Amino acid sequence: MTPSHNMFTFLSRQAVTAATPMILAGVGELVGELSGVINIGIEGTMLMGCIAAYTVTGVSGHGTVGLLAAIAAGMVMAVIFAAASVWGRADQIVAGTAMDLLGMGLSGMVWMMYQNWRENLGFSTALLHGSGFSPVPIPVLHDIAYLGPVLFDQYALCYITICLCVMTWWVLHRTRLGLIICALGDAPEACHAAGVRVRLGRSLCLLFAGASSGAAGAYLSIMQTHAFATNMTGGQGFVVLALVIFGRWKLPGLIGGCLFFGLINSLQQTLQTARYTSQNTALHALTHVPFQFFQMLPYLAAIMALAIMSRKAPGPRYINVPWPEAKT
Amino acid sequence: MIKRFLHRVWNSVTAVALAALVCAGVLALAVGAGALLGYPPIHLADLWLRGAAGSWYALSSSCADACPLLLTGLAAGVAFRAGVLNIGAQGQFLLGALVAVALSTRMMIFHQADLVIPTALIGGAVAGGLWGLVAQYLERYRSVPVVLSTILLNFVALYLAQAALQGPLQALGTAAAQSPEVAGKYWLPLFVPYTDFHIGIILALGLAVLLWVVQQHTTFGFETRVVGLNPGTAKAMKMPVTIRQFQIMFISGACAGLGGAIQLLGQVHFMTAHMGNYGYAGIAVALLGRLNPLGIILSALFFGFLDTGAFRAEESSLALPHDMANVIKAVVILVMLVLAGLSLRRARRAGRDTPMPPTPPTQESTL
Repeated sequence: MTPSHNMFTFLSRQAVTAATPMILAGVGELVGELSGVINIGIEGTMLMGCIAAYTVTGVSGHGTVGLLAAIAAGMVMAVIFAAASVWGRADQIVAGTAMDLLGMGLSGMVWMMYQNWRENLGFSTALLHGSGFSPVPIPVLHDIAYLGPVLFDQYALCYITICLCVMTWWVLHRTRLGLIICALGDAPEACHAAGVRVRLGRSLCLLFAGASSGAAGAYLSIMQTHAFATNMTGGQGFVVLALVIFGRWKLPGLIGGCLFFGLINSLQQTLQTARYTSQNTALHALTHVPFQFFQMLPYLAAIMALAIMSRKAPGPRYINVPWPEAKT
Repeated sequence: MIKRFLHRVWNSVTAVALAALVCAGVLALAVGAGALLGYPPIHLADLWLRGAAGSWYALSSSCADACPLLLTGLAAGVAFRAGVLNIGAQGQFLLGALVAVALSTRMMIFHQADLVIPTALIGGAVAGGLWGLVAQYLERYRSVPVVLSTILLNFVALYLAQAALQGPLQALGTAAAQSPEVAGKYWLPLFVPYTDFHIGIILALGLAVLLWVVQQHTTFGFETRVVGLNPGTAKAMKMPVTIRQFQIMFISGACAGLGGAIQLLGQVHFMTAHMGNYGYAGIAVALLGRLNPLGIILSALFFGFLDTGAFRAEESSLALPHDMANVIKAVVILVMLVLAGLSLRRARRAGRDTPMPPTPPTQESTL
């Protein structure tokens, strides 16, 4: 294996690892938006997933219980959001911003109380000791030349995410349920006429979105890092929102966007260290660039991609229009 | 004329009264929640109130904390009224502070306080406004929704500020992303000595009143409100929709940038990239004030008192988690939103012919 080949495999693997939580949260957000509800609050929901997974895993000692707790926490956030935006007719953007504030505040508060409580009992809260998840290589498949380490040497939740993507695509494009979900966002009157309860349907889609965002939070805290830090999502929830539009409300586009973002992110991290060790003069010249410009790169790339791609993006027509509509 | 003016004021007063009622309820809820978590409620409430308004100094620090909130609140309020969903006050705030710190620690004009302070404030405001215009340009000519571009630009601004604070603006003898302290003569003067009452507070209050007058009593304000309610109607009435949106975005960003500059010269005096969540909190402030500049003054004061009180309670022996203030803010927004939704529905039930804010399901206005 040549070194460059090695590097390429490494970068791809990092990209998939980094993209998994965004894909997971993005699938939920996509379903929610297709049903006509844009949820800006996934950042907050993911943070609640992070803290729920971390604390419950820390107390119970079982990662699976923590994952379930994160899913439950995400669903609770979704219920609050649905109550305000679907049933309370609140503006979805503003209600979503409130959910972000709620998630940031509540997760920080719970974190502080958890630390006080556990450290008084004499436990360390800095890291999970052995009860988090580690990557699970799939027996035979992980020996395949390039695909093996990239796709089949990941965390368990990554495999679940792949299954979830396939299932969601199948449901959206091949079943009556998928048709109803899209109709909720494109023609709610038609749904209403056909006897589908619009608000209930939207709430259920949001519940699914909450569950997957919560699981994405769990991925960050009990799998990728085995630690919790305040605001540890670092804006990933916001990036997911941009990527849903970047993918033009299509699942393959969304996944491609997430992988692209993950790749740029792992590339910039590698470049940050490689520029000091490399013999290549062009790379070495980059040592004068402040590292914050590398950190900025994924966000700039997202803006650029949106600026190039988002022309005539045909989104769901009734996003942020409450049902039943206000009659003039 | 005077009667109509009084009527307008009365409308503002009722809006504020409703907001105050919600605040009182939420505060009671917070103390109740504190009691559930094991903090003695009377002691907590006492500590909170004394921390926020127990002395001249406490009062002044509450007001000084309300000042940046008022400006970011105005930024959100002005923009939302015109239908420009600027969530980017955080980035605009940071860039305003960044330019202000550059103009007061590196490029002081003739080293005269009379020149440095105004240029720093104006420079901060212009920087915030220009940063906002980037997002509006992307919306108008590249159809990137403002909601998304402003959020992404917040992160770009954050890293830009960090790069500057570890590069040309870094203080001597530190490895952290931190600017040197602004020299004492460039601080905003205090109008009550030995407190935190600096003239930035008066400036912000004046700006709020000015924006209220512009919004309610000028053609420009009327046009921006129509643009916000229904761009299609505004276009049909031959209003310059695009120009109004760009102007509003600049004003909104300038408010946030000025907030950053005032916070820097008036309150913290040196810059790090973590200057608080004033930009995001501003959205809550604007909503609680029902997007009315006069209402925003009161809601910013309320949030300032909430934050300062929570900060004192955190410092005290009770060690209340400071994030509690954020939770309370979120609850306030959600309650206000649902109340607004309910009153809309009541209005609809009362009279079918009452004009409603139209929600046209067109391609442009869906986000």
